[in-house]
Amino acid sequence: MEKYFDITYLWTTIPQLIPFLWITLLVAALGVLIGSLLGLLLAMFKLSKNKILRFIANTYITIMRCTPSIVLLFLVYYGIPAFSESFLGIYLQDVHTGVYVVITFSLQFAAMMAEVIRSAYLSVDKGQYEAAVSVGLTPFQAYQRIIFPQAFVIALPNFGNGVISVLQEGALAYTIGFIDIVGKANLIIANNYNTHAFEIYIALAVFYWVLSIAIEKFFGRLEKIFSKGQRSLKTS
Amino acid sequence: MDSSFLNMEFLIDTFFVALSGVPVALLVTVVAMAIALPVGFFLALTRINEIPVLNWFTKIYVSFVRGTPIIIQIFVLYSVIPLILSGIFEKYHIDYPVYDINPLWYAFIIFSFNTAAILVEVFRSALKTVSQGQLEAAYSVGLTSSQAYRRIIIPQMLVTALPNLCTATINLIKATSLGYAISLQEITLKAKVAANVGYNYLEAYIDIFIVYMILCMTVEYLFKLFEKRLSRYKYTTA
Repeated sequence: MEKYFDITYLWTTIPQLIPFLWITLLVAALGVLIGSLLGLLLAMFKLSKNKILRFIANTYITIMRCTPSIVLLFLVYYGIPAFSESFLGIYLQDVHTGVYVVITFSLQFAAMMAEVIRSAYLSVDKGQYEAAVSVGLTPFQAYQRIIFPQAFVIALPNFGNGVISVLQEGALAYTIGFIDIVGKANLIIANNYNTHAFEIYIALAVFYWVLSIAIEKFFGRLEKIFSKGQRSLKTS
Repeated sequence: MDSSFLNMEFLIDTFFVALSGVPVALLVTVVAMAIALPVGFFLALTRINEIPVLNWFTKIYVSFVRGTPIIIQIFVLYSVIPLILSGIFEKYHIDYPVYDINPLWYAFIIFSFNTAAILVEVFRSALKTVSQGQLEAAYSVGLTSSQAYRRIIIPQMLVTALPNLCTATINLIKATSLGYAISLQEITLKAKVAANVGYNYLEAYIDIFIVYMILCMTVEYLFKLFEKRLSRYKYTTA
């Protein structure tokens, strides 16, 4: 490692890292998308009257909460190919590592979202649904027009936190050889014979920091926009 | 069919290898918590009382830790601490090889650095739930500031903070799995090294997974017991 800190080095590495920022963001976005759908399903399991479904959802959420991301990542990365090979006879050697990364973070995000969606749903007063049905809406319409918009606003801040944490957990994808921004940074460091590692790590930290703050601000803005509408509805 | 999927013998042997990493993981967790609890509480007080410079410093510190992945924090701290130390050692002519420091020390520093910031937010939100009147009432009956905090504010605050403290502890235990980056001999690294011999990675990760499950569920259970004990006052007065 170098003995001094060379700030000018940052200006040459940041342009090299930026193209890989999109890969990081794409993986996070896919994780959020698939994870939200799975999370919705799990939330429905948790809210259902069926004991077995509730048990499945609760067990899944506990397991996800207790497993470090890196362990889950490797379990998926080694487990899925081994499983499909010996039980289904399908060889998955050529599957891109990105697929495993997306699967891992979808699984994790789903557990987070299940809790978020459940608590948001429960916080909407039951009378709202009854009122909607009593004025002649079908149950589906009641959910779509009355329950969902209200639960959505309540879920927004926690959803934002979930998105940030998926983005951050994504930094571990380099461990299975996925080349995102962290993977690229490690390649650059290796190419430089491990010099200037510190500057590159600082650059990475700044990237993530800025992204997290941007996401937080974005969700803050969204929340304001949506709760504004709610207030005007109440007064009118 | 089963024999080709999982090597059972290795699975069982490695479970104990993984288990042997538990003391290190727990040691790091306990030390990091022991440092982070008072630091986090103190910094939360500076945020609540809006102490000029410290308040501003805490804000940036918390934002940084929450805004960057732990692995990046580990990378940054693991490369900056030796730089600082070698600078200090050179200045004071201490002849100690910086790169021979036990990774355990780095783990203590890194994970306390991370957890303290998380706890600032936990304590800040918990302190806000205790009403101002409690502190005023404590003063009015003649308690000093430290007495008021120790006997009135902290016991009430702890009850609300406990679920979040539990989450923070579990996240900390989970985060120690990243100790491989600083070659800390904990659960994940030990099992992984054992797997290197025969490429039995899947078995090794299943073992690691089971060990973390046991650890987390135990911690969750202990916190639940503690929470019940702490919130006793709520039921006796009601």
